[in-house]
Amino acid sequence: MRRLALFLALLCLASCQAPDDKAQLQTLVIAVPSDPVGLDPATNKAEPVGSEVILNLFDTLLAWAPPAFDHLEGRLASQWALSADGRQLSLTLRPGVRFQDGTALDAQAVQQSLNRAARLNPFLAASFRAIQRIEVTGPLTLRIDLAEPMPTFAALLAQPQAAIVKVAGLRPGQQPSGTGAFRLRRYSPDNELILERNDDYFRGPARLQRLVYRVIPDASTRRLELRYGGVDVSPPISQLATIPTDDIQAFAEDHKVQVVQARSQIIRQLDFNNDNPDSPVHDLRVRQAMAWAVDYDGLVNGILGGVVERVYGPLPTASWAFDPAMQATAFHHDPAKARQLLAEAGYPPSRLKLTLYGFQGAMWTSVATFLQANFAEVGIDVRIEQSEFSLLRARHVAGHFDIALDGRQPWYNDPDAHITQGYLSSLARSAMTFRMPPDPALDGLIVQARSVADASLRKQLYSQLQQRLMARVPAVYLFSNNLILFKRPQVQGLALNSAPPLVEYWSVYKEGPAP
Amino acid sequence: MNSFLGRRLLTAVPVLVLVLLMIFTLARNLPGDPAVALLGPDASEQQISALRSQLQLDQPLYVQFGAYLGRLAHGDLGMSLKTGQPVLTEIARRLPATLELTVLATLLALLVGIPMGMVAAMRVDSLLDQALRVLSLAGVSMPAFVLALMLQTLFSIHLGWLPISGRTSPYYITEPVTGLATLDFLLAGQPAAAWDACLHLLMPTLVLGSFLAAVVARYVRNSLLEALGEPFVRTARAKGLGEWRVVGVHALRNALLPAITVIGLHFADMLGGAILTETVFAWPGVGRFMLDAIHNRDYPVLQGTTLVFALLYMLVSLLVDLLYGVADPRLRHRGH
Repeated sequence: MRRLALFLALLCLASCQAPDDKAQLQTLVIAVPSDPVGLDPATNKAEPVGSEVILNLFDTLLAWAPPAFDHLEGRLASQWALSADGRQLSLTLRPGVRFQDGTALDAQAVQQSLNRAARLNPFLAASFRAIQRIEVTGPLTLRIDLAEPMPTFAALLAQPQAAIVKVAGLRPGQQPSGTGAFRLRRYSPDNELILERNDDYFRGPARLQRLVYRVIPDASTRRLELRYGGVDVSPPISQLATIPTDDIQAFAEDHKVQVVQARSQIIRQLDFNNDNPDSPVHDLRVRQAMAWAVDYDGLVNGILGGVVERVYGPLPTASWAFDPAMQATAFHHDPAKARQLLAEAGYPPSRLKLTLYGFQGAMWTSVATFLQANFAEVGIDVRIEQSEFSLLRARHVAGHFDIALDGRQPWYNDPDAHITQGYLSSLARSAMTFRMPPDPALDGLIVQARSVADASLRKQLYSQLQQRLMARVPAVYLFSNNLILFKRPQVQGLALNSAPPLVEYWSVYKEGPAP
Repeated sequence: MNSFLGRRLLTAVPVLVLVLLMIFTLARNLPGDPAVALLGPDASEQQISALRSQLQLDQPLYVQFGAYLGRLAHGDLGMSLKTGQPVLTEIARRLPATLELTVLATLLALLVGIPMGMVAAMRVDSLLDQALRVLSLAGVSMPAFVLALMLQTLFSIHLGWLPISGRTSPYYITEPVTGLATLDFLLAGQPAAAWDACLHLLMPTLVLGSFLAAVVARYVRNSLLEALGEPFVRTARAKGLGEWRVVGVHALRNALLPAITVIGLHFADMLGGAILTETVFAWPGVGRFMLDAIHNRDYPVLQGTTLVFALLYMLVSLLVDLLYGVADPRLRHRGH
C-alpha cells in the first residue's frame, strides 16, 4: 500500500512539473507515419515526409498560392517571366533574403543550388536535363535557358526538390542551410524531428516557436494520440495509398478533433493493357463495356464513404486544365449497354475471364471486390490477385496483365504530369504509363500541349486531349482521393496544398488552452 | 576458459558467413526492386534506371556480394539505400532505445517471473499456485498488441497517468550523450524530463516483459518442483535449514539452469524481435528499422541488421554458457 502511495505521489510530482501552457501553445506536434528520407532537396525523391519538412526548412523560387493553390506566386523570386517561345525563364530575386547561417541570398547562390539539384537528384534528372545553362545576369537576376519549350518549368521550381540551399562551403553529407521559416534543431531517427523558428525569416517569423514531427507508424496509435492531445495535426501524408474512412467516422461527432478536406489531383483507375494485341481488352468494345459496367456512384458514395470524388477522364476535376464537358460525356452505370457491347465483341455471359491485379490494403481490396461484383453483373468473371507495391509495379512495367488497379499522384502541379508520362507512346514500356500504342497524331498533340507557352491555348489543347483519350478508353477512371487532415480545434491557419499534398506551417498557430 | 572462448569465437566465423550468404541471397530474391520502392509510385522508368545504376544494382550478384564482403572486412556495413547514411551509424542511433527497453523488460521479467515461479512451486496445487499458473498462461498467450491496447486504454485514456506512445514528451529536448533518454535528461540536469522518459518506458516494458516473465515463472516452477524432490534438498532440510533458505539458496540455484538458457535466448530475441511493441508504442528501436528495410528492399540495412543480430545472439549465447559455469561449478570444471 505504501509503495502504491509512493507511486501516486511520484506521478503527481511529474504532473506538477509538466511543461507549461505557453510551451504547449508555441509547439505544434505533427504525427507522421514514417521517417523523412533525407532533408536535402538534392536527395529528395518526392518522398512525402521529407518533402514537407523541406518546404518548412527551405524556400522555393516560386510557390503555389494558398488557399486555392491554383496559380504560382513569387517566394524567393519577386518577379519571373517566361519568354514567348517558352525557352527562357527570367527571374528576379527578393532583396534582403538571408540563409539561416546569415549569408545573403543572391543569384549566384541560386545558380549553384539549381545546378547541384540537377546533378545530384535522379528524380529531377528527366526534367532538369532540359536546362542548357543558368546565367547570372545581375546580383539578384538570373536567366534559365531551356533546350526545348517548357512552360511547365515554372511549376517544377515550386517543388521541394528545387528548393534553394546554400552550396558554398557545403561538405558532402552535411545538412545544407536554407532560408526557410524553420531551422533544423534535432533529428532522432524513427522517433522525432524538431524544427525551431527562424526569427530572421524574410516573410516575418513564424507564429509557432517549434515544430515537432513525431514518427508514429501505427494508425490506431496516431488516432489515440490525436484524440487525447498527444499530437496536434495528422497531415494527409499517409493517405496516398489509403483512405482513413474509419478515422473520419470516428471523429465525425468528436469535438476534440476536426477533419479538414481538400480536393487532390490523385487519380485511381482500372488500367487496361493497351499494348497487347492478344489481350481481350485490346478490343475497344470490351473496354467500353467494362467502363459502362462500373457503378461509379456506388463506389464513390457507398464503398468509399463520400470522401473521394469521381474522376471523369484523364485529368481530375482539381486540375486547372480539366474540361467540364467531360462530365456530360463520361461513362455511367449501364449494365445493359455493357452486356450488348460484350455480345458484339463475341463474349456472351461468363465467356470473358480476367485476372484483376491490385495493391494490398483495405482500400484497394474493397475497390477490387466492388468492381468484381460490377463485372460479374454483366457476365465477366474476374479473379482478384493482390500483391505488394514493388511486385505489382514490376508486373505493370513488364506488361504481364490485362487489367490492373493503379493510381497516379502527380509529383508537380501541372496537367503535363498526368498526360505526358501517362499517354505518350514513346514511354509506353516504362512505369506509370497507360502503355499507349504509337499514334503520331496523339503523340504530337501531347508534345504540343506541354510546349505551348500561352496558358489559354494550352488549356484548349488539353481539352482536345481529354476528348480524344476518352474516345480510346485507355482506362476506367474511378475516383480521386480527397486530402484529409486531422487537427485539434485550437490549431488555426492551415491550408492544404493539392499537388503536392504538403503543408507549410509558417502561418499556423495554436489558440487558447487545449480542450 | 581461454581455449573455450577461442573455440566459440572460431565457430562464430563460419556461422556469420553462412548467415550473410543466406540473407544476401534471400534479400535479392524477394520480389520487387529497391529503386522502385525508393522512388515511389510516380517515378518514370528513366528515374528508376538512373537510381539503379547509382546504387550499383545493375551489377551481377557475385560482384555485389564480393564488394560487400570486401567492405565488411574493413568494418564497413555499407550505406542505407533509403537514407544514404552508413548502416552502422543508423543501427548505433537506434540500438540504445532497443537496449533500454530490452534490458528493463528482462529485469522486470526476472523480478516478477522468478518469485512467481518460486511461490507457485512452494505452494504447489494450492489456490495461489492455480492463480499464478493462469496468470502465466495469460502472459504467454496474450498477443503483444492486445496487451498494449489494454494498457493504453487503462493507463492513458481512462486514468490519464501514462503517455500513449513515444520515447519522451515533445516538449522536452536534450542532446543525446548515451542515447538512453532517461540518463541523458539526468546528465542534462532535467529531472522532470527524466521522469517523463521513465513514464514513457513503463508500458512498453510491461508489454515486452510480461511474456518473458510468464515464461520464466513457468520454467522456474517446474524446475524447482523437480529440484525440491532431489536428495540434496532433503539433506538441507534434515540439517534444519529454514524453508526459504532451502528453496532460495539450494534448490533455486539448480532450478535456474534451464531458465538461464530461456532468458538468454528470449533476451537476444527481443533485441530484434520487439517489432510489434515498438510499432504500437512508436518506440524507435532496431526491430522497426529492420522491418522498414524489408519493405524498402534496403539490402545493406537488411544485411547489416541481420549481421548485428547474429553477433548479439552469439554473444548472449556465450554469456549464457559462461553463466552456466557460474551457476554450476561442475560445468566450469568440465570446461577446463
